[in-house]
Amino acid sequence: MNPDQLLERIATTLKRDIGPAVEGEYPKTQAFMAAVVLQKLGRQLGLEAVHRAAEEADMHALLDELRADAEHAPLPARVAAALAALAGTHDTQALCDFINALYAERAALGDARFDALLGRVRRTLRASIDRRMVYAA
Amino acid sequence: MSATTDARLEGRILDYLKSRLPAGRDFALADVKRIAVGWSHETWLFDLNYREDGRDVTLGLCLRRDPGNTLLRHLSSLEEQYRVLKCLESTPLATPKVYWYEDDTAILDQPFLVMEKVPGTCPSPWGRDGRAFYQAAADRGSLPASFTSTLATLHTLDWRAAGLDFLGVPAKGRDFALREIAKWRELIALSEHPPEPILTDLIAWLEANAPESEQVVLVHGAYRTGNLLIHDDRISAVLDWELQVLGDPMYDVAYVLSDLNREGTPLLSNLVDRDAFFRDYEAQTGFTIDEQRCRYYNALYAMRSVAFWMSASGLYASGRSDDIRLARTAWSVPVVLERAATELGY
Repeated sequence: MNPDQLLERIATTLKRDIGPAVEGEYPKTQAFMAAVVLQKLGRQLGLEAVHRAAEEADMHALLDELRADAEHAPLPARVAAALAALAGTHDTQALCDFINALYAERAALGDARFDALLGRVRRTLRASIDRRMVYAA
Repeated sequence: MSATTDARLEGRILDYLKSRLPAGRDFALADVKRIAVGWSHETWLFDLNYREDGRDVTLGLCLRRDPGNTLLRHLSSLEEQYRVLKCLESTPLATPKVYWYEDDTAILDQPFLVMEKVPGTCPSPWGRDGRAFYQAAADRGSLPASFTSTLATLHTLDWRAAGLDFLGVPAKGRDFALREIAKWRELIALSEHPPEPILTDLIAWLEANAPESEQVVLVHGAYRTGNLLIHDDRISAVLDWELQVLGDPMYDVAYVLSDLNREGTPLLSNLVDRDAFFRDYEAQTGFTIDEQRCRYYNALYAMRSVAFWMSASGLYASGRSDDIRLARTAWSVPVVLERAATELGY
């Protein structure tokens, strides 16, 4: 049995057998809420490998396009440094730093280029949040 | 909390009330109900019966206690709630009369306040019964009118004369929005949640687009059904003074206009026709509803919601709370981030 299937089964037992047998409003609510948490965790775990691969592929695609843009026309120093850091780590903190750098250098980038670069980042963010919504909603 | 603990606490509450009413005797608590657990302050409703000057007295009371790990603890203390309610007693706004605040933890282990139990009910707008209640009230028409006129009263009261400037007076211009962003950014930082790029985008966008606001009014911060006590088909008290701030009235109006509080009905806050709200609110306040500013504040509410859920799930993750409802909110963070992305147009 996979961990996600195990959690789903425990959640069902909590919801169907344990929760209804618990007396007292507060502990009963806790039992049902524990079932909800286990179900969501189970779904998240079940999708983790597929989602991680998709996140990594999206990050590569984003970096390819951002680097192509940078080769076409130089980026302000702060944005270029943030892009280099993102390329090195691929992590969410570096992506946050890149977004902050775009906003900070908006005047230097000009509205059209700022919109294009942020729009490209947002495409990646939308795909990521849509994946998380599969188990979070 | 067990029944035994509750009974022990009731005895201590009674001892405290006796000390506050030295002219009384034969004290007893009746009809004690504990109505909230965990999320916010602990709340007890009860009647205090006693004799004074040869006559029987019944005092309906509400006691709120800080459990020590509430969601917005460092942003809105019971002491601040007490001060706000005390100030509001001199205004035309319907609020509970507040009696005492105590920060001496020797009395009931945690700080608490005691206020009047105002007659009325507060149906939850999220359940089937609540939805039916508000739909029936919407059809009758009195309660929707009271909802709007109470908000107008709130937004036109003289907060300076009432002594509410201790809440912090924003400067005209962008100061109010920037103060709110800073406040919620602080809560997010305290939650120690991992970085979220959509949130970074949202905050940067909010800072870059903070609107100018001319008026400074008392803003409730969560003005909706569920936070309003209802009696005889009208609002008998505005409750939940945890998010109040001095600032742009459109901050409250945006909350009223938000889809979040409609439960799928076309009625604002499950109750009020949109056109009637615009007409009556503008006539009673003299303010023009600025829908563009309201859209901005909706995005700011998305940031506030992210801050709530990060803080809530952080309380569980750090072991400061064992309430599993708080663990559940870890999955509310992406839900609100998705809404934020939509607000930003992607």
